[in-house]
Amino acid sequence: MEEYLAVVRAAGFVDVELGELVDVFSGSPHESDAREFEARGVTFRARRP
Amino acid sequence: MSSSHNATTVPDVQELTCAIQEKYTEVAQTPDRGFHFHTGRPLARMLRYPDEWVDATPPSVVESFAGVGNPFRLGALPAGATVLDIGSGAGFDAQQAARQVGARGRVIGVDLTPAMVTKARAGAAAAGLANVAFSEGRAEALPLPDAAVDVVISNGVINLCPDKAAVYREIFRVLRPGGRLQIADVMVQASVPDDAKADINLWTG
Repeated sequence: MEEYLAVVRAAGFVDVELGELVDVFSGSPHESDAREFEARGVTFRARRP
Repeated sequence: MSSSHNATTVPDVQELTCAIQEKYTEVAQTPDRGFHFHTGRPLARMLRYPDEWVDATPPSVVESFAGVGNPFRLGALPAGATVLDIGSGAGFDAQQAARQVGARGRVIGVDLTPAMVTKARAGAAAAGLANVAFSEGRAEALPLPDAAVDVVISNGVINLCPDKAAVYREIFRVLRPGGRLQIADVMVQASVPDDAKADINLWTG
């Protein structure tokens, strides 16, 4: 997750704020892969200065 | 599930593009067939979209909704704003954005998959929304001039792009100074081995 947000900051964005983490693959056929890689749906916002 | 790593080991970009278009053409044209990810009204409920929003959206748009979060829970969009929805699909989020920005605002949806753009345009017409338009395009090369929009939204799309740095540079380019992004995307917290990074099925879900 930090690796991803570092890409956002490197593009020039500031005030990066995380929102919700959702176990969005729960109950789906991809659930086992998602658990293996600890994949989540994540919301975040940021601002162009 | 789709990898969210900016990996050095990724599928061929052209091959990945074709696979994404094939998968999301199915989501557009045969939304009830079942996918490896949640879709439609059950997904909207899981992501806590208000029922009244879903009820106000044409069923043809709701049935092809695919996403991984609710970018509107990060804050309402300002009335009169110009909004870009990257990977707008059948237009579910774009329709919510269009209602929030109102008649003085404008929403531009961009999507890689022609079948989704066709469906989104029909859905906007069915909803009577005149302030939203859709076009084909790639997140890495947005069909917009510099500093053209106030807000960028996206939902479960940038994880499909191997070059996330290029996508966020494009978002920065098209946003006006002071503009903001509100994004939902897949992120992984565990290490992803190279063979998984190269597995096109994990990218497209």
